Amino acid sequence: MIWPALKVSLLVVSCATALTAALGLALAFLLARRNFRGKELLDAVLTMPLVLPPTVTGYYLILLLGRRGLFGAPLYSWTGWTLTFTWPAAVCAATVVALPLMLKTSRAAIESVEPKYELASYTLGKGELATFLRVTLPLARRGILAGIVLSAARALGEFGATLMIAGNIPGRTQTMPLAIYEAVLSGDDRRAQLLAAILTLISVTALYLTNRLSRTSGAYAA
Amino acid sequence: MTDTLNVRIKLRLTDDRSRRSGRAAAAPFALDLDFATRPGINIIFGPSGAGKTSTLRAIAGLIAPDEGRIAHGERVLFDSAARINLAIQARRVGFVFQDATLFPHLTAAQNVAYGVHRADAPTKAARVDELLALFHVAHAARRYPHELSGGEGQRVALARALAARPAVLLLDEPLSAVDAPTRALLLDEIDAAQRAACIPFLYVTHSHAEAVRLGAHLLLLHAGRVVQQGRPLDVFNAPQGASAVRAVGTENLLGGRIVEQRPADGVTVIELAGARLEAAYNALPIGTQVTVGVRAEDIIVARQRLTETSARNVLAGTIRRIMRTPEQTELIVDCGVELKVSITAGTLAVLDLHEGTEVFLLIKARAVHLAS
Repeated sequence: MIWPALKVSLLVVSCATALTAALGLALAFLLARRNFRGKELLDAVLTMPLVLPPTVTGYYLILLLGRRGLFGAPLYSWTGWTLTFTWPAAVCAATVVALPLMLKTSRAAIESVEPKYELASYTLGKGELATFLRVTLPLARRGILAGIVLSAARALGEFGATLMIAGNIPGRTQTMPLAIYEAVLSGDDRRAQLLAAILTLISVTALYLTNRLSRTSGAYAA
Repeated sequence: MTDTLNVRIKLRLTDDRSRRSGRAAAAPFALDLDFATRPGINIIFGPSGAGKTSTLRAIAGLIAPDEGRIAHGERVLFDSAARINLAIQARRVGFVFQDATLFPHLTAAQNVAYGVHRADAPTKAARVDELLALFHVAHAARRYPHELSGGEGQRVALARALAARPAVLLLDEPLSAVDAPTRALLLDEIDAAQRAACIPFLYVTHSHAEAVRLGAHLLLLHAGRVVQQGRPLDVFNAPQGASAVRAVGTENLLGGRIVEQRPADGVTVIELAGARLEAAYNALPIGTQVTVGVRAEDIIVARQRLTETSARNVLAGTIRRIMRTPEQTELIVDCGVELKVSITAGTLAVLDLHEGTEVFLLIKARAVHLAS
């Protein structure tokens, strides 16, 4: 009874975290180090899920990705497949709500890297990608790691948007927070307690790991 | 054979750009440069705010000139007319920053290795070892930048810059954070590195000693322009024009008027507010208003009036003030006009000099620089 929800949660969280980390890092670099039109608008739109009620975010996701949605409709008529009520929908929901945390944290981390190190790298003949990977990223790694852990935690706890677009199908889209909700509704207190304990344990461990990581990686003065 | 670096640029630094280039003052500031490097170490010398660092930053591509052209031999780095503006990483212009700017997350050896391009692991390691040894920091290879002394950090920065095999190396006051004994050693190492690398070095400093020790050629900068160039000693000993006299760091600048010309003796006599000075002959007409520059270190102090001396100027005066710092001792002597005189701390004791002591100042005519 516990195992299916745990499995779905682990799958959704790992996919969403990987997606958030890659997407968030690229966007954070653009926002931190490039100037382009609509930059702050892009930042605002991507940060919206942080302040919107998750059900509203979920509703917008249905408008975009549902069977009759802006992108969902062409996808359905082309492939006959629709995202709603599948585990990738849960990944989408978790990614969208976790992205702002990754973006905010790593944008601040990248902005805190003094540009002089990047300039020094350029004068040594290194291009922008090499400089980002070998200078900016390592120097910003604490903040970036913190962003990844925070967004993983947010993805793990995601409830509202997931319910809206992925539903609550045991063994397929029912993540642990949804399973707790159902357990409480059906009066299964033992199951609710066990699930809550597991979620708490994972969250506390993640927090502990970040703290340790940022301590041992502090070999130099940042 | 080293190619010449040709720089002909105009650059108006707005407030924003001044801030980014690390200039404290918000005053609008313009560079208007036209010079070519000579083989060896080229010194860029001038008072702070003259545009020395901005010159280097423009050559490296860290700031873009408004117009002009920068070329190294046949290679054009920047040309506003042809719309060429090579990226920093494509210029092959090395930069040694004032504060070393080593990557804090890499060891000394890794910092140097970062500069080495396209080499297999053994070749790269050998090159790193060679460069660390060249600058006598092999012992510090595994240390992180925060574990290095100022001198070691600057040596690693030099090794790293040369590892990238630049075509030109720019050094921005690399010794400003280094203690005096290390500074002398580093000067030798920089000199040796230039000879080994056979590329032009542009070396920014406001230290006369560093300029004379290293420089094959000196570009004197004042208010964003090259006001004089030549061998460092020649420029320091014979600055031409008022801004050159100021830029070489002449402590005594006095207004005066030419009152007598004695071409046969090779002297020109200038009357100041309260004294007369003889300068090396200068063909300006009598009556011309001039600025006279005398470096504080070019003045000799004596307790008695010397009669048989080659010094053309012997001025009687009184010590008004004695200023002592760990680096130097300076006197303000009133001899009709106030002159600043630089002496050693030992002289102060030996001659028993105090505020109020009457002294004689000896100045050679050649040390009196005229700027009309």
